[in-house]
Amino acid sequence: MSTFAPPVQRLITELGKLPGIGGRTAQRLAFHLLRASEEDALALADAIREVKSRIGLCEVCFNLADGPRCRICSDERRDAAVVCVVEEPSDIIPIERTHEFHGRYHVLGGALSPIDGVDPEDLRIAELYRRVTGEPEEGRDPIREVVLATNPTTTGEATALHIAEQLREKAPQVTVTRLASGLPVGADLEYADELTLGRALAGRRALS
Amino acid sequence: MSRRSLRTEAIVLRSIRYGEADRILHLYTPEHGRVGAIAKGARRTRSRFGARLEPFFHLSVNLHLSRGDLHTVTSADTLAAHGRLRERADTLDAAARACDAVARLFETDDPSPAVFHLLANELRLLDGDPVHARPAAQLAFRLKLLVAGGFTPQLASCASCGESDHLSGFSGAAGGVVCTACEASAFPLSEEAHGFLVAALGRPLAEAPDAGDRALRQAERAIAETAEHHAHVHLRPLARVRRHQSGPTIRVPG
Repeated sequence: MSTFAPPVQRLITELGKLPGIGGRTAQRLAFHLLRASEEDALALADAIREVKSRIGLCEVCFNLADGPRCRICSDERRDAAVVCVVEEPSDIIPIERTHEFHGRYHVLGGALSPIDGVDPEDLRIAELYRRVTGEPEEGRDPIREVVLATNPTTTGEATALHIAEQLREKAPQVTVTRLASGLPVGADLEYADELTLGRALAGRRALS
Repeated sequence: MSRRSLRTEAIVLRSIRYGEADRILHLYTPEHGRVGAIAKGARRTRSRFGARLEPFFHLSVNLHLSRGDLHTVTSADTLAAHGRLRERADTLDAAARACDAVARLFETDDPSPAVFHLLANELRLLDGDPVHARPAAQLAFRLKLLVAGGFTPQLASCASCGESDHLSGFSGAAGGVVCTACEASAFPLSEEAHGFLVAALGRPLAEAPDAGDRALRQAERAIAETAEHHAHVHLRPLARVRRHQSGPTIRVPG
């Protein structure tokens, strides 16, 4: 039998369902909310309710959107001929922070992992092919480059290789690129792993 | 070395995201079987582990032993990165299925150096030449894995009555090939499939035999049924599409 009143226990249970939150942290957060002012606590509840009722997926790229299209797909200044493919909506944020990419995105919703039962049909890969091979929107250039920005993990690499192979057949005119692999700025060579350093060497560039 | 730490060779079977920036690893070691470990901060770009904790890495790891099931990785040195097998979809898929088969068949901490060396050899072959990703070679690996686990199917004579002629089927329940008189619970096994299984057992992994597609499907079923009946493990079927093609080209523009 719980030592807490049922509403408090319910709050602890719900908070405990969040990723990375264990029983004790859930309990601490629940007591924090109980101590907080009613205004602050209800603001959190309203924010959760609003995000669940208003946020959906962009009909073009499957990024999070508060309308039919996300802000990036609605932005006329973005280059619609270059599409960057990412695993999750959260992967768009670090790419946007670089200010180096001015194209649009396509969110797959995960990465291929046949061992875990994640096959191409479970991701938005068919939608990507339709987007690349379909007619461009009026007044826009057709897609000329697809940047594969899946994570440099085993599943991310497998996803990139699969898409690259399919695009080579379905849209041979489109250039398929992959994010470069290399050393993080500020890191020591001494601590670099062999795979990353090997790829950094293979992809070295001439200094002009 | 203190009793609370362990230095061992290991192959990364699986690497799962955990928490903010950690990874949970399934490692296979020669002397301690399958080991679970957490690598704290491994997903940060400046982590000292770098890519070393990705699946298929053959490592020398230092583990801080905990009382529970999950130890902590304190250092990792690369013995083989297997970088080339990551450049092709077929070798990547074959390596993933090889690690998955080991993880399913050998999930305890019982030592099995034979399994460890077999997996290390398979990854080395896949890294060296994509021809080892063909279904026949993958089946030869699975068959040797069954042998290493003590689940060798009987192939020389009927597993039910001992008859050495008229072998025409395979029964996972009986534990091997069966003759026409005993094939009630068996599925048909062609002469070619039987020959493939015998040759795959007898030859080194690097010289795995070939066979036609129908024979390979029968051999795969024989291996899968042996694993199911005797190890109570379901092996993932092999991917059979788009094999032996050159890898995709990822071009740099400009």
